[in-house]
Amino acid sequence: MNRDPGLRQRLQEMVPFDWSLLRHIGSEPVPYHLKKWWFCLGGTVLYLFIIQVVTGIALTFYYVPSPDEAYASVAAITREVRFGWFIRSLHKWSAQFMIVAVILHMLRVYFTGAYRRPRQLNWCIGFLLLGTTMTFGFTGYSLVYEQLSFWGATVATNLAEAVPLVGPLLAYFLRGGAEVGENTLTRFYILHIGVLPTVAALLVGLHILLVRLHGVTELHFEGETVREDERHFAFWPEHGTTELMIGVLLMYLLTLTALIFPAGLGAPADPTVTPLHIKPEWYFYFNFRLLKLTSLRLSVVLTLAAGAVAFLWPFIEEWLSRRLKFPDALSVLLGTLAFLSFLVLTVWEAFAG
Amino acid sequence: MMNESITHTVTRRDLLASVAMAAGLIISYGVLGIQGLMFLLPERLRPRTRRLFAGQLDGYRAGGVQVFFDLSGNEILIRRAPAGLTAFDSTCPHLGCRVHWEEDQQRFFCPCHRGVFNPDGVGISGPPAAAGQSLAAVPVEVDEKSGVVYIEVKDIRKRRA
Repeated sequence: MNRDPGLRQRLQEMVPFDWSLLRHIGSEPVPYHLKKWWFCLGGTVLYLFIIQVVTGIALTFYYVPSPDEAYASVAAITREVRFGWFIRSLHKWSAQFMIVAVILHMLRVYFTGAYRRPRQLNWCIGFLLLGTTMTFGFTGYSLVYEQLSFWGATVATNLAEAVPLVGPLLAYFLRGGAEVGENTLTRFYILHIGVLPTVAALLVGLHILLVRLHGVTELHFEGETVREDERHFAFWPEHGTTELMIGVLLMYLLTLTALIFPAGLGAPADPTVTPLHIKPEWYFYFNFRLLKLTSLRLSVVLTLAAGAVAFLWPFIEEWLSRRLKFPDALSVLLGTLAFLSFLVLTVWEAFAG
Repeated sequence: MMNESITHTVTRRDLLASVAMAAGLIISYGVLGIQGLMFLLPERLRPRTRRLFAGQLDGYRAGGVQVFFDLSGNEILIRRAPAGLTAFDSTCPHLGCRVHWEEDQQRFFCPCHRGVFNPDGVGISGPPAAAGQSLAAVPVEVDEKSGVVYIEVKDIRKRRA
């Protein structure tokens, strides 16, 4: 066979990129503890995010973002389009899994102190990603346009109105008017399929770039006996294989949940009748319970304040430890308390009916 | 095999494991991909039809044509021939104009390009004849006992759940 000897060279000419760099980037040594799954939770979130993007694009082929058609189009996807129920269930369940994985990832990063200098900025980016993920969940849930999602959107935008200073403007912007209506659905739609994915992709890119620039946090465990030559392994193919296996496991779990608990559909949205029991998605339970325990304004201010502290925690902790000789154990205690209060509020709301 | 001369550490067991894993991945993600494609390609359903009441057989004069409308507003021309009822969509197969029945000539006529069809809907003159086109037949049936006439037309009801 007479292969053009210049083909490779010409390709190189057209795409002047040093391909050996890829190999270099791919063979980054990573610490041995990345063999454990709880150190792979960031990759888990990324995998689920990719599933969201793929199934999400597929769903937009049939979804119609107008108050008259939205519910019927979701019903058609669920009941008539081939594999529609499966694609929709995958989208729904991987969203739920993604929130869980984000929370677990944050817990891992927090309790291993991986957010500390010099990685403070990446914690902040990660926290923004948490916000993006939750906004994804909220806007996506509202697109179904069933009773619960309609009234969820109503309650949530009214909550936004209670944000100090910018609240009324924010709520007006989100709803595209004084109340949830025609404009709201198109706004949520474009946020969900255009704005948020772009923001998320940029933040994820930055997040991974910073991880790569800093390298994965090296941990030393008490009493560990690891030979020096076993302290690291190559990102590719070793870690890649780990991530692949996690991906397969996730796919398996997602398929199972989609089969056993396929995404359902409640009654269509009716702006004239509020259902007796309305509840947001579980990851907003903490806020819902807080709202019942305190006043509207106080719950919003508390949530915002907690969010701000969590967002800036690496810097706050640094400042505290410089000023007050803040011990590490106290950070662990505070983190535990914060997570436990989230957990307690969530479980309380879940069982309180 | 060339691989063996380069990497001595690849045992048969390793190789088999890798091949099995790669094959498993390709098969499972492949199945998912196929399902995804099936999701994106709209199902080519046989068009849904609906039986429509089209009067009593007694109401049809021999050799005459009655006009009915299907659900999208298309004219359906029903003719009582000696052998029974025949029904046609009045859309001319040439360029979509409406044909009408000319009783005195015993023919269907399309005014746009002077297309002529015989009572069986077959093009006999003008562009449809040149292209060998006929009027689209519409299934028609008569209930023996009651003499009620039904035509089978496309259903346009919204597919709502």
